[in-house]
Amino acid sequence: MRAHTEVYNIPRPTFLWLLAAVVGVILPHVLRLPIWLTAICALCVGLRVLIYQGRLSFPGKRIKVAMVLLMLVLVGAQFGGQLYSTDAMVTLLLTGIALKLLEMQRKRDVRLVIYLCYFTIIAEFIYTQTIPITLYMLLVVLLTTTALLSLNQHFLNQSSADPPRWRSLRLSSLILLQSVPLMLVLFVIAPRLAPLWSVQVQSATSRTGLSDTMAPGDIGQLTRSAALAFRVQFSGTAPAYNQLYWRALTLDEFDGREWRRGISPAPQPLGPQALAQQAGERQQAWFAGIEYLGEPVTYNVILEPTDRNWIYTLQMPRMVDARMRMHADYQVSSVRRITQRFSYAASSHLDYRLPANSSVVERRRTTVLPQDSNRRAQAFAQQLRQQHSNDADYIQAVLAQFREQPFFYTLSPALLGDNPVDEFLFDTRTGFCEHYASAFTFLMRAAGIPARVVTGYMGGEFNPYDGALTVRQYDAHAWSEVWLPDQGWQRVDPTAAVAPDRIERGSDAVLQEEEAFMGDDTFSLIRFRNLLFLNELRYRLEMVDLAWNRFVLNYDQDTQLDLLRRLFGSLNRSLAVLLLLGGAAACTALMVWLMLRGREQGDKSQATRLYLQFCALAAKRGYPRAPGETPQHYLQRVAAAMPQWQRELSRITRLYEEMAYVQGEEGEEDDRLRELQRLIRQFRLRA
Amino acid sequence: MPFARTAGRERCHRRLLAAWQQRVAQWLQRRIPPACQVVLGHRNIFILPNRQGLGFMLVLALMFIGAVNYESNLAFALVFLLLSMFLLSIFHTFRNLAGLHVAVAPGTAVFAGEMAELSVILRRLGRSSHESVRLCYAGAQPQLCDLIEGREARVSLFVPAAKRGWLEPGRLTIDTVFPFGICRAWSLLDLQLRLLVYPAPQECDLDSLLSNQLHSGNTSLVRGSDDFHSLREYRLGDPLRHVAWKNYARGQGMLVKEYASTMDQKVWLRWDMFAELDTETRLSRLCWCALRLDEAELDFGLDLPGLRLPPARGEVHCRQVLESLALFDSGRSA
Repeated sequence: MRAHTEVYNIPRPTFLWLLAAVVGVILPHVLRLPIWLTAICALCVGLRVLIYQGRLSFPGKRIKVAMVLLMLVLVGAQFGGQLYSTDAMVTLLLTGIALKLLEMQRKRDVRLVIYLCYFTIIAEFIYTQTIPITLYMLLVVLLTTTALLSLNQHFLNQSSADPPRWRSLRLSSLILLQSVPLMLVLFVIAPRLAPLWSVQVQSATSRTGLSDTMAPGDIGQLTRSAALAFRVQFSGTAPAYNQLYWRALTLDEFDGREWRRGISPAPQPLGPQALAQQAGERQQAWFAGIEYLGEPVTYNVILEPTDRNWIYTLQMPRMVDARMRMHADYQVSSVRRITQRFSYAASSHLDYRLPANSSVVERRRTTVLPQDSNRRAQAFAQQLRQQHSNDADYIQAVLAQFREQPFFYTLSPALLGDNPVDEFLFDTRTGFCEHYASAFTFLMRAAGIPARVVTGYMGGEFNPYDGALTVRQYDAHAWSEVWLPDQGWQRVDPTAAVAPDRIERGSDAVLQEEEAFMGDDTFSLIRFRNLLFLNELRYRLEMVDLAWNRFVLNYDQDTQLDLLRRLFGSLNRSLAVLLLLGGAAACTALMVWLMLRGREQGDKSQATRLYLQFCALAAKRGYPRAPGETPQHYLQRVAAAMPQWQRELSRITRLYEEMAYVQGEEGEEDDRLRELQRLIRQFRLRA
Repeated sequence: MPFARTAGRERCHRRLLAAWQQRVAQWLQRRIPPACQVVLGHRNIFILPNRQGLGFMLVLALMFIGAVNYESNLAFALVFLLLSMFLLSIFHTFRNLAGLHVAVAPGTAVFAGEMAELSVILRRLGRSSHESVRLCYAGAQPQLCDLIEGREARVSLFVPAAKRGWLEPGRLTIDTVFPFGICRAWSLLDLQLRLLVYPAPQECDLDSLLSNQLHSGNTSLVRGSDDFHSLREYRLGDPLRHVAWKNYARGQGMLVKEYASTMDQKVWLRWDMFAELDTETRLSRLCWCALRLDEAELDFGLDLPGLRLPPARGEVHCRQVLESLALFDSGRSA
């Protein structure tokens, strides 16, 4: 005798809900994951449907083992050394679900698939957290929950019974809806722990953004993307537009073609503890010597993931954040790579004074140039230097060159050869910010003035509705910094000399006509920014998106403390948490009670409601019920006017009176209610 | 020595277990006293997450770790949504049982070795529906029941009736895991349901046993009912198959045919007719004889040690005889 040979038949509705949930879970990953995985998922779903229809039998043990091995090999081949990366994990999870579908025979298998679906929903949130995806995932949660609920519904197992349609869906959405208040409170009060171990998220598509090298001559056509770089919300008034230089990184090594980052000395940690401990003597000299002048500009930045450590700030940032540190070039970087959307608060003093005693090593490093390249430019610099021995005069002279000579700003410059600075300065004379920054810095160094290239973003777009500044990839910019003996490092933007509009109004205003501009974003809403209505819509959507990012996605421990403080003032934190929890419990209980009570007391009020509906219908046909008229009188009047409806009308009145004034058995009440509904519907349709 | 020690320990365990079970039973007796109808409510419903619920919690814990590690607030939100759903499902599972009125329907007696049918009637008092409610007696195949549209449902549970006497199926387990299968709400009801089990009939040679009691020349009871004798007025309790329907159709009123062999025959079923057999076998044979005699519509009496039923016939008498057999000596054997 074989025990437990009884075959469990998955009820059809359960099967359909589950299939919908599984497909819903896999779907958003399709574009991101290798194509073979999509094919295998589709194959498994298709096979499972065939098995369900009885056209195929479940695969045998040997086939199952073979399939699992094949999967492992495929995943191994795809990801190789990065077997522990998130992508590989998600791939494994999805293949797991797909394969499990094929051997889903017992009730517990179904349950396992449902649990796996729940788990995989989280995987999607690692990649995207936009509002549309969130809504979509909510739908998937509903589908999965409905599958779980219908799995426990007995009547679905009986093929004879005609199950009430959509009952599972209605019940599960009701329960999910009831869970929302408690979920919100838990979301607000639950502690946000630090990650237990670091995880690597690398999406299949490489991210657009700044690069840590710059070789102006190598790019013939700069296609620029309207992808979001970061968003800023200023508290208080925003600084002038031409002050919005978002510093990302400095490039201080030049090999004749390409600028790249040099080695920087020990960074200064910016955590509150580090700053307090090292107050004074042990801080880095370049850090301790900063003089902050004027009023600070405070702002909050939500940074899109870059896979880099760079933090964008206005110069000179004064931050207190343990997640960051500052380098000797006054560039702030994050301790961890920014693999997810990242939010930080900063304040910057646009007016500041730096210690002028730059180290000799640094000065030497920022004046070296390769001897054998760009000789014409070097000769030109020496010639100009002879006329202007003062550093400031020399800088002005170089800028004047850019301004007065026929230099042009374009996004489609000519390619440059072995001596790009020479060719740019004396032959082509067309280029964008990188060309100008590179040439200017070169000329400075050739004259013995320490100089470096700085890259980052310039400007952005202010949203008129919430005042937020949106900085996109096409706002990327490059400029220079020079070191003057009595002032330290100073920003000089040579592009301003060529295309002042770029600095005053932003790249968007200047470059709209250029073909290359936004060649990447054919369908982006931003393409239509000249249509007034669409532009309004875009601003609104961006505002909602920013709010979503600030208040939901970037809700962290600081926001939490802040919120609790604002809600409960100086109240003890744990007390506040208890209060909130109690509130949620009370709210849930109230909702549940209302629901039950509504059901218990439904009959009478429902009868009245239906009768009033009927009165309104009769009134529409010209027989309004007089105030104070009893149903019986009203009946006589209406029936006299509509004799063909005599029978129905008297039945409606009788049913109403019975339900309103006579306590009937409960089954009877139901029947009466149903009959009343039916009669009124008839009356509505035909009378 | 170790052997003795393990044996001792096992005995100790068994004793502890028995004591524990007794304590639980006593507590249950106080908590849910026996009653033939019960309304389920917070006093008599127990609720706990079941194994699947623990699995669900494990999945939630894993998801929480994922949310912490990826610092994803939406993942947190999902975990909290599912956690709230879990908590709410405790309430919903409770509500699925609460307000259910449970009563027993009178059952019919069975013979030992058959399946006894125990009927439970579920009725909903409130307007809320009850879904996938499982009913089970120890030893019975569990039955699932819904009260969605209807107001009342009758559920039959079949329990093997092994021994004659009173069948007491113990407490009825009524439980549900609806809606998500992650919590189980249950109640253990003593509905004071008991069913009489007659001895299993065992065939024997009735004719030879009764030969000395019957008139000579008419010894076969099996053929006895063939010889039509006369008609008489219908009396309440007469078998309908003996009604003379043809006469009834002619408008002569309800008459009953009487048969030769069933006239004036009075027999006794005696305890000492099966002298050499044990008690249960004797009872089984007596049971079979009684059934045969009832079928043959003979007047028969029952003579057991300490119990004497005078000869009579009819359904009521037969039931009385069978009951006596079922409960014979029940004080000692129970």
